[in-house]
Amino acid sequence: MRVGSKPACGVLLLGWICLGGALMAAQSHDADVAIVVHPDTPVNNLTLAEVRKVLLGERQYWNANIPVVLLIRAPVARERNVVLKTIYQMSESQFKQYWIAKIFRAESATAPKVVYSNDMANELTTAIPGAIAFIDVREVRPGTKVIRVDGRLPGEAGYPLR
Amino acid sequence: MLSRSLPLLLVSLVTSPLLAQSTPQSPEPEPSIQNLLSRMEQLEKRIAELEDHERKQATTTLPADSSSQTGAGIKLADSGAGPAPAPHSEHMGSATEEREAQIHYPSLQIRGFGDVDFSATDQKGSVSGFDLGQFVLHFASPLSQKVSSFAELSFTAQPNTYEVNVERTIIRYDYNDYFKMSFGKYHTPIGYWNTAFHHGAWLQTTVARPQIVKFGGTFIPVHFVGLQAEGNIPSGGLGLGYNLGLGNGRNSKFSRAGDSGDVNDNRAWVANLFARPTRLYGLEVGGSYYRDKLTPNPGTNFDEWIASAYVVWSKQRPELLAEYANVHHRDLQTSQTFNTTGYYVQLAYRLPWQEDKWKPYYRFEYIHRPGVEPVWDITGTASVVDLVGSLVGVRYDITNYAAFKGEYRNFRQGVGEPRVGGAFFQTAFTF
Repeated sequence: MRVGSKPACGVLLLGWICLGGALMAAQSHDADVAIVVHPDTPVNNLTLAEVRKVLLGERQYWNANIPVVLLIRAPVARERNVVLKTIYQMSESQFKQYWIAKIFRAESATAPKVVYSNDMANELTTAIPGAIAFIDVREVRPGTKVIRVDGRLPGEAGYPLR
Repeated sequence: MLSRSLPLLLVSLVTSPLLAQSTPQSPEPEPSIQNLLSRMEQLEKRIAELEDHERKQATTTLPADSSSQTGAGIKLADSGAGPAPAPHSEHMGSATEEREAQIHYPSLQIRGFGDVDFSATDQKGSVSGFDLGQFVLHFASPLSQKVSSFAELSFTAQPNTYEVNVERTIIRYDYNDYFKMSFGKYHTPIGYWNTAFHHGAWLQTTVARPQIVKFGGTFIPVHFVGLQAEGNIPSGGLGLGYNLGLGNGRNSKFSRAGDSGDVNDNRAWVANLFARPTRLYGLEVGGSYYRDKLTPNPGTNFDEWIASAYVVWSKQRPELLAEYANVHHRDLQTSQTFNTTGYYVQLAYRLPWQEDKWKPYYRFEYIHRPGVEPVWDITGTASVVDLVGSLVGVRYDITNYAAFKGEYRNFRQGVGEPRVGGAFFQTAFTF
């Protein structure tokens, strides 16, 4: 009897894992990724091409006094994957090589700063003038400014970062 | 087997919540487990207290106007897109993290590049074998919000020693994106390759650089000592940018820059204009003009004009690099003119298999020079020769920071010379 119950328990566990995984995937895939900046940053709306220029390090200043400080989630985070796929259009490996080459060419003194959670991204964006980060829209907290992309906010039809 | 287990899986999915509800209460945990649980609760409370304390400290150190408002932007509450504050489900940022994220000045970063090569050709008198490529150290350090410095040292193996060279040393002041001023020793912004790849072989797709931008070559002046202005040009979707340089130009030994001073009173200048259209992400086109006066020997002077143009598609599916340059020399005593033309076209494609590790490539190169060219022949041996050649190879990225490359080259150097074939292998890395 005890021997026969082991496979049943295994199948039960597998079933729960499948169900839980499916629910979590459904939840996480629905949310847009918001682009948030420090509240004093003088931008409210950027085109996707302008966002790309900022992320590629081709635009390094918001104005003469405020440098862009890029914050990007560590590998595996969904926000990072969305940014790499939609904006950079690069693989993880290409992204790393791009920034090594960028610094090596003396075009930028620093690479994007890595943040390990959306909470950390929220707090650093609030604290660092010129900071820009990419956060799951459900986890954006007051103290940051969400910018429109091509005139659209997260959640609106046609918003590109999802 | 699958058909048998599928109904069982479905039944388990449906019934498992019911089973879970009807499952009798698990027996009381052992005393040791209870102790552990209570200990965990105490620690969680303690962590929450510490996090609250740090958050309060961080909030009090922030400017009053940056912690509560969203400026002129869309307020989340107004947009309807903003969620309620999320529970702290992830790792909390802290004042320590904020301090660490702030840039400190100076903030030195060092990166190294190296490569090990093997070559075997059927050229008469050549010897096959291994050699160490350049060992390169690169330094970058922001000195303030708007001032940064860069340096690059190379160590090149010689028969009895290593030759150490300062390849670049630059200090740059950024006024904004449209005007950045720097002083030092650069890679001359002529064409694309010379400023895109520099000395780390890992950065470039192929084993070696094209002949027109070869290190130690004389076709173009690879290095430049002086000042440079660079930046973007407001141009909307065209994505224009520029480099303007003024400096010492070539030394009396043409392959070297005037690190220790110019050989004449004439400064060289270079202007480079490029476009990265926003609608065609990955495309870059550009052109440059370089002007110098060469003094290989006292009393012997030549004017030099170099015109170049390039088109690059930097996405790796496919990757295209094509570059053209014409070097014009005029003897200031006889007014004779000489034109040498060179170009290359390189194609590569990152294969979508095995985690994008494989990248086959092909390059065609061509250089044509006049039979008599006093600048190239000044030392009695031609420093630039006619060249027609192709290479085909493959790059395999072992990791994000190391690659194997193998290629076959077939080329002819010099008019009437036999063609030479050879196999070249390299492992290149950064650390």
